[in-house]
Amino acid sequence: MTVRDTFAEGLKGNWQVTNASQLEQDLTIETDIAIVGSGAGGATSAEILSAAGFRVLLIEEGGLFTSSSFRMQEHEAYPALYQEGLGRMSKDGAITILQGRAVGGTTLVNWTSCFRTPEPTLAHWASEHGVRDHSSEELAPWFARMEERLGIAPWSLPPNANNDVLRRGCETLGLHHAPIRRNVRQCWNLGFCGLGCPTNAKQSMLVTSIPALLDRGGQLLYLARAERLALDGDRVSGLECVAMDDRCVEPTGRRIRVRARHYILAGGSINTPGLLLRSGAPDPHDRVGKRTFLHLTTFSWAQFDERINPFYGAPQSVYSDHFQWQDGVTGAMGYKLEVPPMQPGFSATVLGGTGVAHPQLMQQLPTSNMMIALLRDGFHPDSAEGTVQLRSDDSPVLDYRMTDYTWDGVRRSLMSMAEIQFAAGARSVIPVHNDAHPARSLAEARAMIEQLELRRFKIRLGSAHVMGGCAMGEDPRQAVTDSLGRHHHLENLSVHDGSLFPTSIGANPQLSIYAIAARLSSQLAERLTSQST
Amino acid sequence: MSKVFTSPSGLSRRQLLKVGLFGTVVLASAGGIAIVAGRTDTAAAGFRQLRQSDLPMLRRIIPVILSGALPTGQPAAAVEEVLQALDNNLDRLSPSLNGQIMQLFDLLTLGVTRGPATGIWGQWEDASDEAVRNFLRRWEGSSLALLQQGQNALTNLILLACYSSPAAWPQCGYPGPPGI
Repeated sequence: MTVRDTFAEGLKGNWQVTNASQLEQDLTIETDIAIVGSGAGGATSAEILSAAGFRVLLIEEGGLFTSSSFRMQEHEAYPALYQEGLGRMSKDGAITILQGRAVGGTTLVNWTSCFRTPEPTLAHWASEHGVRDHSSEELAPWFARMEERLGIAPWSLPPNANNDVLRRGCETLGLHHAPIRRNVRQCWNLGFCGLGCPTNAKQSMLVTSIPALLDRGGQLLYLARAERLALDGDRVSGLECVAMDDRCVEPTGRRIRVRARHYILAGGSINTPGLLLRSGAPDPHDRVGKRTFLHLTTFSWAQFDERINPFYGAPQSVYSDHFQWQDGVTGAMGYKLEVPPMQPGFSATVLGGTGVAHPQLMQQLPTSNMMIALLRDGFHPDSAEGTVQLRSDDSPVLDYRMTDYTWDGVRRSLMSMAEIQFAAGARSVIPVHNDAHPARSLAEARAMIEQLELRRFKIRLGSAHVMGGCAMGEDPRQAVTDSLGRHHHLENLSVHDGSLFPTSIGANPQLSIYAIAARLSSQLAERLTSQST
Repeated sequence: MSKVFTSPSGLSRRQLLKVGLFGTVVLASAGGIAIVAGRTDTAAAGFRQLRQSDLPMLRRIIPVILSGALPTGQPAAAVEEVLQALDNNLDRLSPSLNGQIMQLFDLLTLGVTRGPATGIWGQWEDASDEAVRNFLRRWEGSSLALLQQGQNALTNLILLACYSSPAAWPQCGYPGPPGI
């Protein structure tokens, strides 16, 4: 069966798509609305503003890859489709950060899990962070609209065996668990979402909002890094971009100057604050890049007697929120439990370590399960948090500082995962830590986890959800933008991505980004239209 | 000029000098040695990023980190495949991260820093598996975050390069992606 590469077909038509790496001279582009970043926030905004009649330019730093180039090969996908060539880490190198970088942004490589923003999170934003008009009721129609747009529905097939470990373990212990909703249509249940969907089943921005933008005459400029906003008083007067080479590593020397009536930043947390910092945007209360969160992730590996083939099948179809709100919104750190797809490169890197234990575990990959805990950072004053800074070459980097409060959450998350894995019938469980060994019983695992030295580099920590850094809120002393995503100090600049979030979400964030960006864009379209008349 | 001591980011001169137990005088003079040795940033033949000076070190470290994971038939060829995959990954890293990795490799290979930093006083080619393992363990257990980070980065780079490639699939029972 062959799959139509619909984006490649579209490129043969009259779409306005520019590959900046091939520019032979500098370029100037005039448009109504310039959007930096083609992921969940940027592409959703582009589709809506284009439909409202505005000329839209969508700018993406990464390359353009379409379904026929997605061959489900880790060694091809990671260097091409992820920020910094999969090298993105916290500044100290202790936390690997998975963020997409290509046309479609992280939506191209995410694991398709969709959750409405949890009600306690939205209530916390309203009460503690001065966010207005973002209640569950107010957002509900926007969630519904994006769920319809992106085919978001509960996964109706049985979970793969890797997810079923989580379901079975929670079921045995009487813990909360539920199916995950996914943004797919006619999914083949292959399991390679993280490497680019080869069948165009995933309703990423590449197959939804970006083609919609281009069909309406909008423009896409890729392999172009937004370097600096030009400022004129309280307005943005232009955007300077540099063309990147086809590896997206070095600038080619060509520059693109963009002039627009309104500018939207949607490069994601880390890149959006980075652009504001590089531009010297007004920041009288020193808020840009502050309070950046990760859903810091811990890992627990388990061996089973039966075959699991954890590298195949829809990667995430079951979750548990049993430990998420257990101690209240602002109590001991809560966490969501899920499983990741276990292709060998990803799995080996999570295991890390040296010596014989590692290959012995990897040899048993087909009978292995891995569970992950996503820690809900940013709700408690003692939570770990990150600050976006600029390196000497002006590229952004996240300085994420651990705290005792967060380490406590890390240890409890390892306990919870071991208990569920044993309840599901695991033969042995290994919390992913350099000093851990396979425990044969829950008692043994508990005793080991209690004693593990929790420090950077000893334990594997990751993140696939970067949030915050340009928080929204009504108080400029606290927030970078207001509740409409408008920059507090620059009148024709908005932020429409996950960097708006004042805390982490407590759930995989893509649907939160889609819905909030859709709403902010619709409101922006109304404001711009009324200004024009 | 070696970039070990010129870049303000990553394993910079200032941070290297914090590695006080190895002797700041020795480390401070390493840049000078590098100039004398005519060290360049030119990639070795057949590579885009890895330099000639990196290869003997990596050819010793790779089989130790991947002990039990490499195909046993032709180990030298398997190591070369990992080197190529590693080189390809380095070629797509951001310049900042790439620079940090190259500085790490410099620390491991410059004559003056290698011994104090790793405990491997002779040539890399002559280092035993046990000596390499000791060096990795020592860095992992070091009280210096810089060395912990170095061990972590080195291990991750090599594991990712190895296991992401089809050559490693038989070692972990992975049949590969389905045909579509």
